[in-house]
Amino acid sequence: MNGLDLATPAGVMLALLPELVVVAASLIVLLLNAFRHQTAADSRLAGWVSLAGLVAAAAALASLWQTGAAPIGTPHMVALDGYRFAALAVILLASIGTVLLSLDYLERENLIAPEYYALLLMATSGMMFLAGAEDLIVLFLGLEVMSVPVYVLAGFNRRSVFSAEAALKYFLVGAIASAFLLYGIALTYGATGTTALTAIGQRVAGQGVTPMLGLGVGFMLIGLGFKVASVPFHMWAPDVYDGAPTPVTAYMATGVKAAGFLSLVRVLMVGFPAIVDTWQPVVGVLAAASMIIGNLVALAQRSLKRMLAYSSVAHAGYLLAAVWAGSRAGASATLLYLTAYVLTTLATFGILAVLGRGGERDVTYDTVAGLARRRPVIAFALAVCMFSLLGFPGTLGFIGKWAIISAVVAEHHQFLAVVLVLTSLVSAGYYLPVVRAMYMKDPLTADQHDGVVLPGPARWAVGIGVALLLVFGVLPRLVIGSSDRSAASFVGSGLDRAVDARR
Amino acid sequence: MVNFLASVNYTGWILHVLLALPLVGSVAVFLSPAALAKRLALVLTIVEFLLSAPLWFMVNTASGTMELVATIPWIPQWGISYAVGIDGISLMMVLLTTMLMPLCVLGSFSYITHREPGYYALLLVLTTGMIGVFVAIDMFLFYVFWEVMLIPMYFLIGIWGGKNRLYAALKFFIYTMAGSLLMLVAIIVMVRVAAVMGGGKVSFSYFHLLSYAQTPIMGRLAPWLFLAFFLAFAIKVPIFPFHTWLPDAHVEAPTAGSVILASVLLKMGTYGFLRFAVPFFPNIAFSSGVTAVVTALAVIGIVYGALVAMVQPDIKKLVAYSSVSHLGFAMLGIWAASVQGVQGALMVMIGHGFSTGALFFLIGMIYERRHTREIDAYGGIARVVPIFSLILTVVALASIGLPGLNGFVGEFLVLIGSFKQFPIATGIATTGVIFAAAYLLWALQRMIFNKLDKPENEAIPDLTRRELIVLVPLLIGIVWMGLYPKPVLDRMEPAARRYILTAKGLPIPGEAITPTRGAAQ
Repeated sequence: MNGLDLATPAGVMLALLPELVVVAASLIVLLLNAFRHQTAADSRLAGWVSLAGLVAAAAALASLWQTGAAPIGTPHMVALDGYRFAALAVILLASIGTVLLSLDYLERENLIAPEYYALLLMATSGMMFLAGAEDLIVLFLGLEVMSVPVYVLAGFNRRSVFSAEAALKYFLVGAIASAFLLYGIALTYGATGTTALTAIGQRVAGQGVTPMLGLGVGFMLIGLGFKVASVPFHMWAPDVYDGAPTPVTAYMATGVKAAGFLSLVRVLMVGFPAIVDTWQPVVGVLAAASMIIGNLVALAQRSLKRMLAYSSVAHAGYLLAAVWAGSRAGASATLLYLTAYVLTTLATFGILAVLGRGGERDVTYDTVAGLARRRPVIAFALAVCMFSLLGFPGTLGFIGKWAIISAVVAEHHQFLAVVLVLTSLVSAGYYLPVVRAMYMKDPLTADQHDGVVLPGPARWAVGIGVALLLVFGVLPRLVIGSSDRSAASFVGSGLDRAVDARR
Repeated sequence: MVNFLASVNYTGWILHVLLALPLVGSVAVFLSPAALAKRLALVLTIVEFLLSAPLWFMVNTASGTMELVATIPWIPQWGISYAVGIDGISLMMVLLTTMLMPLCVLGSFSYITHREPGYYALLLVLTTGMIGVFVAIDMFLFYVFWEVMLIPMYFLIGIWGGKNRLYAALKFFIYTMAGSLLMLVAIIVMVRVAAVMGGGKVSFSYFHLLSYAQTPIMGRLAPWLFLAFFLAFAIKVPIFPFHTWLPDAHVEAPTAGSVILASVLLKMGTYGFLRFAVPFFPNIAFSSGVTAVVTALAVIGIVYGALVAMVQPDIKKLVAYSSVSHLGFAMLGIWAASVQGVQGALMVMIGHGFSTGALFFLIGMIYERRHTREIDAYGGIARVVPIFSLILTVVALASIGLPGLNGFVGEFLVLIGSFKQFPIATGIATTGVIFAAAYLLWALQRMIFNKLDKPENEAIPDLTRRELIVLVPLLIGIVWMGLYPKPVLDRMEPAARRYILTAKGLPIPGEAITPTRGAAQ
């Protein structure tokens, strides 16, 4: 353990190093844009600088994590524990992947505006604060810093009305979500007299549930529920995912969702473990509804992008089931599943991006027909992604689902586990047709797949993602170990007592 | 020979090699050009068989317990190990698999004409999956093999199958997955409960779970857990009314796919009952209600399968429905839980593997020549293809259960073994044997006897040497197990007796009762 004195500026700087590096990188990119914002090369330069910034942040994170940085005393605003480090790792993974997917995509779609990368980095810094927030005010600031750039990114394709529609819709819904969250924070403050999560946890344990507190937690759940696209707050997701440029869709489906879930876990498990019985039924209903509705509606989609949008609603349901558990195992399963989900979704959208043109709105099951004949490697990668999303053995998606089911069963809720597996079965009805079209059908025309080539950076993102899915799917010891340790690091005092008392 | 094998520590590595060789080989096959791929696949499957053959001598089946057990920690955080072992029952299933695979590869040489490397690579992956299911003694490992096997079969049907292949492949996948997903929840719940009972020791080991299977808390959940296992295995067997995927999958699959489905995959269902579902929950499995339902479904399967087979115009579909009928006998024997009954069920599993496998090969061979499976498209071809007709007749008689051939041994043992417990059910089941004679002999008559009245049938070439090489080992097995089944029965008997004792909740002689069992909380 390497104690950091958070009373000194140096200690704080060190504790926040990953965030600071990302913020600095975003400012550098912004400054760069002021001078160079004309050509494709300028856009590319901004992209590589952002990538360098993100990698530097990852290195800073690795050194903090490696030395086991821990606070001397209680951190006030941003947590300093293993769970934050793991959360930052997932977020940086999503951001790095998104940059790699964007590099060639923006040129191909003629979206030459290097501000794209500055916005991406700002959103990333927001996610990092959101996921690490130890105080509800920081949480809200993080959420806004994340959301505003993503509104802009969703409408980044100015020539597409669908992109504009996506941005407007996302903004309006997002604003409502922010309002709910803020109101929830206010009510919680009213009930407990503090916005610091650890302090809230202590006071809630002392006083139990009051109507004001229950309302506060409920409103915060609604606010974060919008961001992670859980039923019934998912209505925006299909249109927004569909209209936004594909790398941005990937970013929303991975980064935004991951940050939302990671902060949800922290809020519920640090702030409100004592009233677990109050929020568990609500989360359970949201989880079951997301799994059922997301999977059933995804069955009816013809466009792959919309299908993936609804499937991401379903995955929000699986993740909520892990959150429902409200235990160490649940927090660990959330991390594990998010890792699998982020890797898979990035690779899937990376491949989707090369299958079509103009936002990939018209990529259907027929578009991938016979892909395995002409592009065996890409088809194989997409097949692995589909099996991982389905939760099939041999992929990391299976390990993630196994962890969630274990966590749910450990809390004696077999029903939720059964809903999870049965809805997974439904999901076979839309993931398998992708595999079927690629391997078992003939291409519609002889030259159908001529343009399907993964450009360099995207190839790395997809290749590494798929390789990790398979390797960790067979030998998951490492990822399970690190998510267990991370979960253990912050679910220390309050939660376990609460859960044990309930048994 | 035994000394030599002992000197190279054969029993120490054989199971791992049997699992690894096809999987590693599949990569090489996939990357080879088509002409080389099939030869390489043939060599690999033959090597696999030759490696597995000495298991016949080297496994001490007399104990009735798992031999050659190896446990390597895999995911220690979750109490999961790579754990394998083999007893008399697994031994026969493994040998059946390794013996069939070279024949399947060889039998596909002329049938499969496009995307060959992928095809042979998938057959090899399937081999690993099947052997894995029979030797896994860790529930996680078992589940992984059980599920992973779906993928190669899905592709085999979906890419190289008949006209309706896409529908059949999806149906096969969804049906099987539906059953196994509930089993997954059941496995996790069992492990959880065992961990609570056992002071926090989380382990997916088969023996660990077996020792907690009858504790009271498991008792409360047991009906649900049993139901989950039951569904997974019942769909695979398949027991009526879960059989509807089978005719589609069988008919649309390429020849080797049908052979593997019938000979090995269906046996995984009955194996699952013998190894897991019944020993884990004997009190539920042999409660009067469950027994009544299972025997009723088994008998319905026997009669219904036979009756539906009788009216099939398509010979492949006929054989597919006959599988439903035959597997009904196996279920009846398993639930009889008498020595003859269980031995008979095992003999039905093996015998059906030989005779139905051979039938599917023969159908594939004639289909390659005439491109139809309609029984009425043939007639009187015995004069054109005498060798084919002779072999088809022998195999059909074996399938019917003619004494002296292998089908008789299993079904006869089942009938005498279950008569005491279920006289009425057994009585009705006996009619299945008569129906089998009816549908197969009638089909034979219409196909190879009668008058040679269709000009297309006058110039069919007879079996080639390659095709004979595929069929002769199966014929030898059919005759050998019909005349002298003792070596096979002897090797399975201790394991079968052990199953019966576990199933009845009786102590196993020479072993202390597991202290945890029955220890009320």
